[in-house]
Amino acid sequence: MVALASAAISVAILVWYLVRRPPLERSTKVLLLFGLGVMPIAVAFAGNVAGFEYTLQRQFCSSCHVMLPYTEDAADPSSKSLAAIHSRNSSFGGESCYTCHADYQLFGAMTTKVNGLRHLFFYVTEYSNTGPYGEGGKPIHMYKPFQNGMCTRCHSMTAPSWRGREEHAGMLEDLEKGDAKCVDCHGGADVHPRAFAHGGSGRGPTASAAQGGKP
Amino acid sequence: MISTLTLRRLVTISAITTLVSLALMVAGMLFPLPLLLVLSMSLGQLFGTMSLVLYLLAIALDLQGVGEHEVLADRGTKPGEG
Repeated sequence: MVALASAAISVAILVWYLVRRPPLERSTKVLLLFGLGVMPIAVAFAGNVAGFEYTLQRQFCSSCHVMLPYTEDAADPSSKSLAAIHSRNSSFGGESCYTCHADYQLFGAMTTKVNGLRHLFFYVTEYSNTGPYGEGGKPIHMYKPFQNGMCTRCHSMTAPSWRGREEHAGMLEDLEKGDAKCVDCHGGADVHPRAFAHGGSGRGPTASAAQGGKP
Repeated sequence: MISTLTLRRLVTISAITTLVSLALMVAGMLFPLPLLLVLSMSLGQLFGTMSLVLYLLAIALDLQGVGEHEVLADRGTKPGEG
C-alpha cells in the first residue's frame, strides 16, 4: 500500500514535469528529487520486502507448472505424504516449500534466493515447453543433498518420542555426523509421491486412475 | 560546452527512465510471477538507480554553473562582468 501510494505520487510529479516542462528552479528540483529519488526508493524498498515475502509462499512455487506435482500434493487435504502433512501445519504450512528447502546457514536466505534464480533460468531454458505437469522434462532434483538439519530444526533427536523409536536406535551418531540421512528412510515418494523423479505421474490419484491407473 | 538544453534533456531522460522503473516495480508487486518479480527487482531497480544518478548529475552540473553562459549571453554580458 505504501509502495503503491509512493509510486502514484512519483508518477504524478514526473508526469507533471514532462507535460508542463517548468523551468528548473529550486522548487522544481526539490520536487523532482522526491519524484525521482525519495519516492522510487520507497517503492523499491517496499517492493523488495513484499517480493521476498511473496517468494516464501507455496503459491509462488506453484507458479511454475513443473512444480505442480509437488505443490498440488502438498495442498491436497487427503494426501498422506510428508509434504502434505507438513503443509497442513498451521504455523508454516503456507510456506512449507521454503521452510523445508531453504538454507539456514549465515546468508541462507540469500543463497536460497540465488538458487531461486537458477530455478528460473532452468525453467525458462529447459522446462518451458514441457507438459502441463512438466512431462517430458528432465527429472527435477535438488542442487545438493537434503541436510538433516532441515528436519532436526523441528524434530529434535533428543526428544524421548524420537529416541523411543526402535528404528532410530543406533543411528544417532551417524545422523549427527551426516553419514546417515533422515531422507534415506523418510524421503523420495514418502515426501513427494506425485513427482516424476520419485515414480509419480505428476497428477493426483484420481487423475492417475483416469489415465489408466498409473501410480 | 554543456548547455541548459542538455541539462533539461538529462532530467527528461531521468524522468522517463524512472517511469519505466516504477512500472516494472509496481507490476512485480501487483502480479508477483517469478519472471516479473525478477525483472522488477533487477531491471526495475537498475533503471531507478540510473535515473537517480542522471538526475544527480544534472543537479551537479547545474550547481557548477553549466548553462550560465547562455543566460549571460541573453542579457548581453560576459561571464565575470556580473
